Amino acid sequence: MRNNLRLLKALTWVVGGGFLLILPFLIPTRMHVAIIALYYAILASSWALLAGYGGQFSFAHMAFAGLGAYTAGLVGKFFRLTTAPTHVCHEWSLGGWWLVVQDTGSPTCLETAKASMPAGTVIMQFPSWLDITLGILVGGLFGLLIGALVLRLRRTYLALFTIAFAEILRTAINAERDITGGPGGLKVAPLFPDGITLFGHHFSAADKWPPYLVMLILFLGIMALMYWLAGSRFGLFIRSIREDEEAAGSLGVHVVRYKILLFTVTAMFAAAAGGVYAHFVRVIAPNMMVIKEMSVVISMAVIGGMESLLGAAIGAILIEFALEQLRNDITIGSFTLHMTDWRLVVFGALLMITLRFWGNGLIYPIIQRITRRGVAEETVAKRLQAAAANPEEPST
Amino acid sequence: MIELDVKDVSKNFGGLLAVNHVSFQVRGPELIGLIGPNGAGKTTLTNLLSGALKPTSGTIYMNGQRIDVLPPYKIAKVGLGRTFQVTRAFRRMTVLENLLVPALAMHPTARQAQFVKKAREVAEFLTIDHLLNEYARALSGGQQKLLELGRLLMLDPDFIILDEPFAGVHPKLMEIIYEYITETNKKGKAFLIISHDMETIFTLSQRLLVMAFGKLIADGPPQEVRKDPAVIKAYLGSDSDKPWQPERKRVPA
Amino acid sequence: MNFPSYFWYTVLWLIFWGAVGALVTPRVYTRKDKFTYQTAMLGAFVGAALGPVGLILLWWFTPPASLKWLGLSGLLILVWLAAAFAKADPDNLCVTSGSFIATQITNGLVIGAIYGLMALGLTLIFSILGIVSFAHGEFYMLGGMVTYYATEVWFPDLNPLVGVLIAALFTFALGAVFELLFLRPMITGQIERPGEYAILVTFGLAFFLQYTTLSLVGASPKKASRFFDYPRVKIPAETGDLLKITPGNLTFFDLISIPTARFTALMIALVLLFALLYFLYRTWTGKALRAVSQDRQAAAVTGINPKRMNTLAFALGGMLAGISGAALVQVFSWVPWVGIPASSRSFVIIVLGGMGSLPGAFIGGLILGVVEALGAGCVPDPHRAAAYLPAYGMIILVLVLLLKPTGLFGREL
Repeated sequence: MRNNLRLLKALTWVVGGGFLLILPFLIPTRMHVAIIALYYAILASSWALLAGYGGQFSFAHMAFAGLGAYTAGLVGKFFRLTTAPTHVCHEWSLGGWWLVVQDTGSPTCLETAKASMPAGTVIMQFPSWLDITLGILVGGLFGLLIGALVLRLRRTYLALFTIAFAEILRTAINAERDITGGPGGLKVAPLFPDGITLFGHHFSAADKWPPYLVMLILFLGIMALMYWLAGSRFGLFIRSIREDEEAAGSLGVHVVRYKILLFTVTAMFAAAAGGVYAHFVRVIAPNMMVIKEMSVVISMAVIGGMESLLGAAIGAILIEFALEQLRNDITIGSFTLHMTDWRLVVFGALLMITLRFWGNGLIYPIIQRITRRGVAEETVAKRLQAAAANPEEPST
Repeated sequence: MIELDVKDVSKNFGGLLAVNHVSFQVRGPELIGLIGPNGAGKTTLTNLLSGALKPTSGTIYMNGQRIDVLPPYKIAKVGLGRTFQVTRAFRRMTVLENLLVPALAMHPTARQAQFVKKAREVAEFLTIDHLLNEYARALSGGQQKLLELGRLLMLDPDFIILDEPFAGVHPKLMEIIYEYITETNKKGKAFLIISHDMETIFTLSQRLLVMAFGKLIADGPPQEVRKDPAVIKAYLGSDSDKPWQPERKRVPA
Repeated sequence: MNFPSYFWYTVLWLIFWGAVGALVTPRVYTRKDKFTYQTAMLGAFVGAALGPVGLILLWWFTPPASLKWLGLSGLLILVWLAAAFAKADPDNLCVTSGSFIATQITNGLVIGAIYGLMALGLTLIFSILGIVSFAHGEFYMLGGMVTYYATEVWFPDLNPLVGVLIAALFTFALGAVFELLFLRPMITGQIERPGEYAILVTFGLAFFLQYTTLSLVGASPKKASRFFDYPRVKIPAETGDLLKITPGNLTFFDLISIPTARFTALMIALVLLFALLYFLYRTWTGKALRAVSQDRQAAAVTGINPKRMNTLAFALGGMLAGISGAALVQVFSWVPWVGIPASSRSFVIIVLGGMGSLPGAFIGGLILGVVEALGAGCVPDPHRAAAYLPAYGMIILVLVLLLKPTGLFGREL
């Protein structure tokens, strides 16, 4: 029984990963949707870890994704690496390389300096992996801060606090046009600016295969990491904190540490997704952090099943594809239904109905039916056995 | 050997002195009952001991360490475990997971697998082993109470506070709880048991603390406490020359 | 426009000593064996107001944290901020023109009263059902939308007040239906995690209502014309020094000017506020509502049906938001997501006033109205001032949650 389960888990990973790997071959025209679906899958499942496992109903998850995306974008906009000093920009020496900052006070300093720099000087942007990593660190730092600040706040108060944080961040990005580009958006370099050669095939910078593979690896990596976390003491502790903080504390669980840790890691996951997303869509705007986006992610997690990482991820992927499919208008006689708007109505209704009638989501119960198969029978069988061995014992 | 020193502890809830300058000591594996009329401050006192509340004044030392300034999880690590008046099992976790939480919390570097066997034994002792993989919410009220005791067995503290362990419990389960207390006590653990079930507490405990209006009004062996005029007054509300007798119906085996 | 750093240095100074005060003061009180209730807050305020000198005095005398000391140091902080602002930006209209300031504050109070009314609905819901409705702003949006359509599209000759009434009925009915379908199961035990469910399902409702409205009416902004055109009046008749009325504007003392549309909205809000107070304190049903908010079980024993009170409270709360929207649809242009900032404002207000406190909600509304008006009018760069508008309230929310989660008038947590 237990061994079967382990086999099942391995099988799920292989089949799921394999399916996602060949998915673009099945729908070559919809690779964009597939990448966005994986982006949402990372966000929904990491939110499920935060809210479903840890009971922390944060509405700041998109803000962390935004932090990741904007860190990557801003590093690309303002930071350069050169092999020679410019003497005009703000710059720091990094053993042979110079880190050059073209801040808003001197936006063209590098251009000015180019003339005086020795021939053959290399001027390059940060590689994508590095600015995404920086984004993850910034996301983690803010996750740590928010986690520490909200320790005393429960449920509604936590929700309100995180909404406020997300809104302040979004507003600031919107307002500081000189730095972030404001509502118009911030241009971000492609993931591989010069293209990349994989398996003997050269992919150009605009090709969708490389970002798909990067997002897929990120998704699988984060899922594996989250399943490891959820199965370890971390998972047990955050669930006990969700159930009853005081009781968990009285049993020796370091409530403060694990709550902060939970906020930090989930913020880092969101920031990682945001960073890759930024390099894929190439233009990011504060709109990626609006409450509507947060509602979408929450709905995906709820419909998939908040208490299941896999359920939330599957929910996200299915819903993203469904939403894209539903864009086509429906015409009945002279009456046209504009599905671009109506699909979200359907989505909202589905969210409410799911919450009302299937509190565990639509996908998680199916997963549970498989993984917890036999538990009830086992209990009953053991109870009968015990009763047979000791006939007078009253059933409790 | 456990040493607990409660020195002049008070708790003020916005003007209401819920616990009023209480002092007592525990030396060694004593089995102490804590009784008192409703609102006497018993539960507040346990919350102060376990760190769920911080005293307004006074100090609490356990095994030489000052614990009233520590967060609850550290107090648990010093060796104080408790149950709650209303059962607080982790409802959406399985019985096994419930039992693993305290064991893992106490051993920062251990692996889960190391404790599964012990959890199974604990569950067997408490007769809930057939429910190991069930969610705690599927358990009956009494079974959830047993599960709380099971968590304490896994935590393995030196000083155990039980808040109303016998309230609303099936007689069969009561026997198990009774056995748990006496067995664990024999292993050198001290108990502080709050109960309204007078007959049980009088037979079970070696020492009785009586609280009324936040004050500790009596501390001594049950037979003496029973005759204490202050206790009689607290329970009956008036002076009475008749020593107060608890009703005796049944004594659990 | 150059905005010297005086202001930011002052802010940093306030934050630094405030933090020192908040962290150290409770320890000092503990060491001196004094009652530590709210001393972190007192320390933060005194530290920010008077810096190290104030803190040393505070730690020396350790007075109990009374409203007197909190209020005084709070005022002093505002004075410092205003002074730093004036020093940093001496040419700002807020510094040079008293009339401008007075107008901004008055307009803030007017709008704030309506925000307060809306938040009153949310706080009513919280005190009875124990939940915060994340769809509150959508009731506000629908109130405005229905009024617009009733008075401008469906029945162009309709008296606007009838339009407001239709909006009130509509939002009341919507609230009642939603409560019966989705919130009633919470108290009948059909929902496993009621607290989390309430957050998510009202959130879902917000999403649903926004997009339903968008699908039905489209995204183009709608603006109702003024409900009433005021006659031209001058008092005294010659100069109009005391009061000057034009169809679009009211001017008091030649100093404070309020658009008449806002004034109409204020009147509607005040009438409604008094009606609500009458209802809550003078009628049986209103008293029953208050009884349920204080003790559900005890109220049930006296023959009040708490379930029905839940429905009533939610519907009434939604209606208050709806009427606020209806009153403001002639002031602002209306789009399907106008409810999102409105929701946020209501959250700020009820947290600031204290969850479940009716006077708190109203006063919180006034405060937020003034803060937003000053923020919009005084921040030097007009583009930034507008862009940061949603953040002012959110900063208040964050500060209140961190410093005093019970708000100004809240019950203890």
